[in-house]
Amino acid sequence: MAGPAAPRGGARLAGHLFTLAALGIWALYAASVDPYVMPGPIAVARRLGEFFADLDLLRHMLYTFAHILGAVAISFVVGGALSLMAFYLPRTKLMVHGRLSPFLNSFPGIGWTLLAIVWFGVNDFTVVFAISAVLVPFAIINMREGLEAIDAELLEMSHSFGRSRWRQFLRIVVPALYPFIFATLRISFGVAWKVALTAELFGGNTGLGYLLNLARQNFDMPLLLAVIVIIIAFVYSSDRFLFAPVQSRLAKHHAAA
Amino acid sequence: MQPLERPAPDLARDGGRRARRRTTRLRERLLDHVFAEGLVVAAVLGWWGLSRGMPDYVMPGPQTVLIALVRLFVDFDFLRHTLASTLRVVGAVVASTLIGGALALLPHRYPIWDVIVHERVKPFLNSFPSVGWAILALIWFGSSNPSIVFVEVAILTPFCLVNISEGLKEIDRELLEMGRSFTRNRRRVFFKIALPLLMPYVIAALRIAYGVGWKIALIAELFGAETGLGYLMLNAQTTADATTVFATCFAIVLMFSAGEKLVIDPLARRFHSG
Repeated sequence: MAGPAAPRGGARLAGHLFTLAALGIWALYAASVDPYVMPGPIAVARRLGEFFADLDLLRHMLYTFAHILGAVAISFVVGGALSLMAFYLPRTKLMVHGRLSPFLNSFPGIGWTLLAIVWFGVNDFTVVFAISAVLVPFAIINMREGLEAIDAELLEMSHSFGRSRWRQFLRIVVPALYPFIFATLRISFGVAWKVALTAELFGGNTGLGYLLNLARQNFDMPLLLAVIVIIIAFVYSSDRFLFAPVQSRLAKHHAAA
Repeated sequence: MQPLERPAPDLARDGGRRARRRTTRLRERLLDHVFAEGLVVAAVLGWWGLSRGMPDYVMPGPQTVLIALVRLFVDFDFLRHTLASTLRVVGAVVASTLIGGALALLPHRYPIWDVIVHERVKPFLNSFPSVGWAILALIWFGSSNPSIVFVEVAILTPFCLVNISEGLKEIDRELLEMGRSFTRNRRRVFFKIALPLLMPYVIAALRIAYGVGWKIALIAELFGAETGLGYLMLNAQTTADATTVFATCFAIVLMFSAGEKLVIDPLARRFHSG
């Protein structure tokens, strides 16, 4: 994900200058318009501080986390199971990859949310259902790639060493899948954030998406921007400091093996 | 592991075996389809069975939804919305591919932009929540066509940027050096070598942007649009019209698959072989 190994000092300096310039332009623009159109960086930073001091707001953040983690787990299990079924029962391959996955993949997330509201009401289950429905095709597609990348000869060889399919699965298939499992979780996590907000906005009474909706209705621009800042910070830092290092380590390990 | 060398097979027997193999393969493929189409039929039947005991505002039956779906493409009052969404998606996909491409080329050409594009603009756009854009655009620009297209472009641009810069990274290693040894004209190298090599990545960017575009078209249209499938859908939801919600979802599935089969796949094939 990161660009060239070591960008030159000039480019790095330009990056910092760009950040400063962007903040400066934001502040200048905010000073020239009404605060409900565009509050300045300082107002947003102050609101951000209040956010972390307010337990009720923090609670919403935790709810969003719970929704996302739940949905990532559910969709991974469901998508992984479907991919494994298509792999071990080739008869169902066209069914899973040719019918189910494209359908789920093109079905709009908002549609799931609105339908889930009708079916289950406005609650946490609706939110988790809508996010999971969107994530399942991502899990299917990614796990399929992993399963198809497994060396058929390796499988054949392991067949000749032992007859237990279960052992073969645990010792050969699962370790070979690690990088893809990881990629699936990473992509799911990134997509889940985006879907979670929409789902919470319409179908939830908790979570950051619900807060966004409140802020929108009250024209509370500082809160709106503060929530957006929180989301950007979380998505970016989880990808940069959690997923990217683990993935590069996995890649190294597998290249060496 | 090299396969062991086999003795040359008897030709006649081989022909027979090949014919037999062809029929088994045909049967295999037929069975695959039985399973795949079986799932579709089972899903529709299950849906029908489920909907019989339920009112239309909770679970409309397949036949009701089918009528509503056809209406979306036939009745002008509805077709208007379908076309509005389609035009916005197409416009946004083209615009974001151009913007993403330009953003990717900038640091490629002038390395001073590297950190700005890849460590500031890209992560920012990538992690900015789509609903956030939708709400902000509504407040900033009101509800209008440009406002909706802005939201879609803002969401799609990072996808295009990532793909095209990936492509630029790949082709760098390959032929550009050689191209430069033949001519010093940078524009010639770009148009004759870099661009054709880049095309598969541009197509991949288009494909991703198109898929994501249809998904987020609804989000962009949910706040304050007066046309489009998103508007129809939200309207339907507030009047407890689950039939229309279903129909708009299926309309999107159809439009998405049609666009991919009729435009993106042929484009990909053309540039892949060429």
